[in-house]
Amino acid sequence: MAEEESQFEEFEQIDFLRDRHVRFFQRTLQVLPERYASLETTRLTIIFFALSGLDVLDALDVIDRNTMIEWIYSLQVLPTEDQSNLSRCGFRGSSHIGIPYSTKGPGVLHPYDSGHVAMTYTGLCSLLILGDDLSRVNKHACLAGLRALQLEDGSFYAVPEGSENDIRFIYCAASICYMLDDWSGMDIQKAIEYIRGSLSYDNGFGQGAGRESHGGWTYCAIASLCLMGRLEEALSRRELDRIRRWCIMRQQSGFHGRPNKPVDTCYSFWVGATLELLDVFQYTNFDRNRSFILSTQDRLVGGFAKWPDSHPDPLHAYLGLCGLSLIGEPNLRKVHPALNITQRAFQHLQQLQQTWRDSTGSCSRQH
Amino acid sequence: QHGRVKIKTTAQQEEEKRKEREKKLKIYVAARDACFSKRSEGVWDDEALQLTQQLLSSNPDFATLWNYRREILMHLETWSPLFWLTNNAELLFLESCLKVNPKSYGSWHHRGWVSARLPRPDWARELSLCDRCLSLDDRNFHCWDYRRMVVKISGVPVDQELAFTDRLIGSNFSNYSSWHYRSTLLPLLHPESPDAKLYSFLSEYELVQNAFFTDPNDQSAWFYYRWLLGRGTSVCNCVHVLKYFGPFLALTAAQICDLPPGTINDISNEHNLTVHWTEKHTHRDCALYTGRTESWCRDSATDQELFRSELSVEKTSVLQSELQSVNQLQELEPLNKWCLLTIILLMRALDPLGYEKETLAHFQTLKEVDSMRSAYYSDLCSKFMIENTILKMEYAEVRVFSISDKNLTTLCHLDQLLLVTHINLSSNQLQQLPPQFAMLQCLEVLEADNNSIENLEGVYHLPKLEEVLLKNNKISTLADLQPLASCPKLKRLDLRGNPVAQTPNVESELVELLPSVTDLLL
Repeated sequence: MAEEESQFEEFEQIDFLRDRHVRFFQRTLQVLPERYASLETTRLTIIFFALSGLDVLDALDVIDRNTMIEWIYSLQVLPTEDQSNLSRCGFRGSSHIGIPYSTKGPGVLHPYDSGHVAMTYTGLCSLLILGDDLSRVNKHACLAGLRALQLEDGSFYAVPEGSENDIRFIYCAASICYMLDDWSGMDIQKAIEYIRGSLSYDNGFGQGAGRESHGGWTYCAIASLCLMGRLEEALSRRELDRIRRWCIMRQQSGFHGRPNKPVDTCYSFWVGATLELLDVFQYTNFDRNRSFILSTQDRLVGGFAKWPDSHPDPLHAYLGLCGLSLIGEPNLRKVHPALNITQRAFQHLQQLQQTWRDSTGSCSRQH
Repeated sequence: QHGRVKIKTTAQQEEEKRKEREKKLKIYVAARDACFSKRSEGVWDDEALQLTQQLLSSNPDFATLWNYRREILMHLETWSPLFWLTNNAELLFLESCLKVNPKSYGSWHHRGWVSARLPRPDWARELSLCDRCLSLDDRNFHCWDYRRMVVKISGVPVDQELAFTDRLIGSNFSNYSSWHYRSTLLPLLHPESPDAKLYSFLSEYELVQNAFFTDPNDQSAWFYYRWLLGRGTSVCNCVHVLKYFGPFLALTAAQICDLPPGTINDISNEHNLTVHWTEKHTHRDCALYTGRTESWCRDSATDQELFRSELSVEKTSVLQSELQSVNQLQELEPLNKWCLLTIILLMRALDPLGYEKETLAHFQTLKEVDSMRSAYYSDLCSKFMIENTILKMEYAEVRVFSISDKNLTTLCHLDQLLLVTHINLSSNQLQQLPPQFAMLQCLEVLEADNNSIENLEGVYHLPKLEEVLLKNNKISTLADLQPLASCPKLKRLDLRGNPVAQTPNVESELVELLPSVTDLLL
């Protein structure tokens, strides 16, 4: 009898609760609990997790795309009449600064309003996921804003007035350039030097030179190089093998981000996608990975948490799904491992880029 | 979004919490709006400091507010030159922020800004803040990064920091971040004196050995150990080549040179040449055949140690003694995977051929002990077996590469097999002959019976290939055999025991696809 019970429990554990996750992301797009207040300034990233999560679940039909698209465009920091704020352009995280709602230019001059590189990245991704054609994105301004953020050492600030600078924002920059099909937004060579400088003695990547290896920063490094098309140019075969080895050793059941740390759902994507980009994901153990991710599934509220018996949150809910998608969980859309959007959204991007290249006079795509 | 564990509360507690939250929210919004109106008016005063303090206490990730706060502080310090000396409040405020969230980028960044700005920074205090923070969470990389900045600016000597890591590691060997920090410090010690450097490395080996003997299951020490063993001059793998006459060759490293003009006056005779590379202090003899304008020569693999493992080259005695130590541990802990991996690594560095049998045995155990990664280990083992076979290869009229019955799951180093005429891959677990296989331009006979090959992508444009033996594989369609059509000298093809042999009219189809084949076995 006891045996039967535990088998039934095991079965419950393995069950993937699709509808709960759809509801979880729907709620995320409506209202967030008070404890998320500190994330208000980065709200657009949370929107991205929910939208991309729904995309992976093939459930985008539950939202009102047009309203969403308008709201995202309202976050674009557009050039003013005299274009004096070009180096501050991009997308902001939310309306927290208090700029009046507007989806059209010209931009309003506000001394403390500027784009944030991670918001520009997730903003563009979100528009693509919603099927938008990016025609209202001021490409020229976004790229000018991006250039203003890169430092001499190749890394990026997040905002023009300064912030910490590290490899995370190189990844955001590379993704932006890739999506806008225009690498004038960054000095690739310098970025590659910074990335190489971040390779640590144990063959993972740190946030910058001399810093500890970490699954998230390793993803940023490898994904950036892949988007730039410079993976094999920047890293030798030996280095790549060593990096593969460091990454493979991150699997304990699910994955952790650093040695001797507990496993955490989000690394099933950060490390999993890195392994996929390095062509060795098939060497990981899919069953144990899946069991761990599903052990963090919240059966009541939906979503995934970083650990079992913890509160789920949009980031882990989204990356948990991506982790499952990598191992081929049925009924989940495939995810583009470098850009972190579904292959479906990626194909939409490719079609757009083809249109841009085909059309004569590319300035038709700029304001 | 940091992990929060669930706890149950009563309905009443929930209601009280909700009321409290609403109150907080009202205060927050009022403060925020007051803040922004002050900022837009260009007001930088104590009240503004107070407002930002209020807001940042509950939301330390509001980057714009930190920027505003910095503006206020800069304004205040221009009005009062003694501002920082009479004002300890900022550092105290930051400490309270860090207590609430020790992982906030905004807080640490601001503290760095403040510290660098103080006329007389108290770096000892900053280090002690780091100590306290690390004692609560020794993996907090924000704190480690801050510590590194403090050490750099204040010029803390390297050996003092090493002593710091000594203390941390001494109390807990499992401290990965400390080992990492050590890896950045060690190279800074004794940059001038190689002997002093060697001595400090030897004592470092002792430290690490203590660690993994104490707890063999902790990976920190093993990763550090591997790095330690690899320090020393890097080896330049070099294959000396003048120029290869093939159309496609890409070698890993090559010395290429053009002969100075006037060296050869007629190409109707053969010339024997000795070429000296002064930079590498080496020379090679080669022959320029009649009518040719290019020649090549290649070092045999054993001479150049092409597969030299990443460990130190010259310190064989050190590696021997390390191998002894780790073997001792292995006797005590026969199922410890880190031990097995390290032993394999050391053996390959010392004598890959001599230790072949032990290496294979260790891989077997490793696959059982760390079964989650057994596919990875199978591939790694395949790579080593291929390397060993290359090392043993002899070069004569016929060059045979024989690696059957070795549990091979993958092929690699195909670029080292350019001269091979006969290859025997039978009785392994290969699933494909990948595109790089096409490098084997001298290949005459391919034996690959008893594998699981379904893909012959790489068997194309092989001008000398005469025999292909693929008995008992998984070739299933005629399309799979398409690449063979580009091999003009193919005479003998054995496809017995493949699904494709059951295809209707297979014989006549093959006669059409591969007209040069005279000896077909189905």
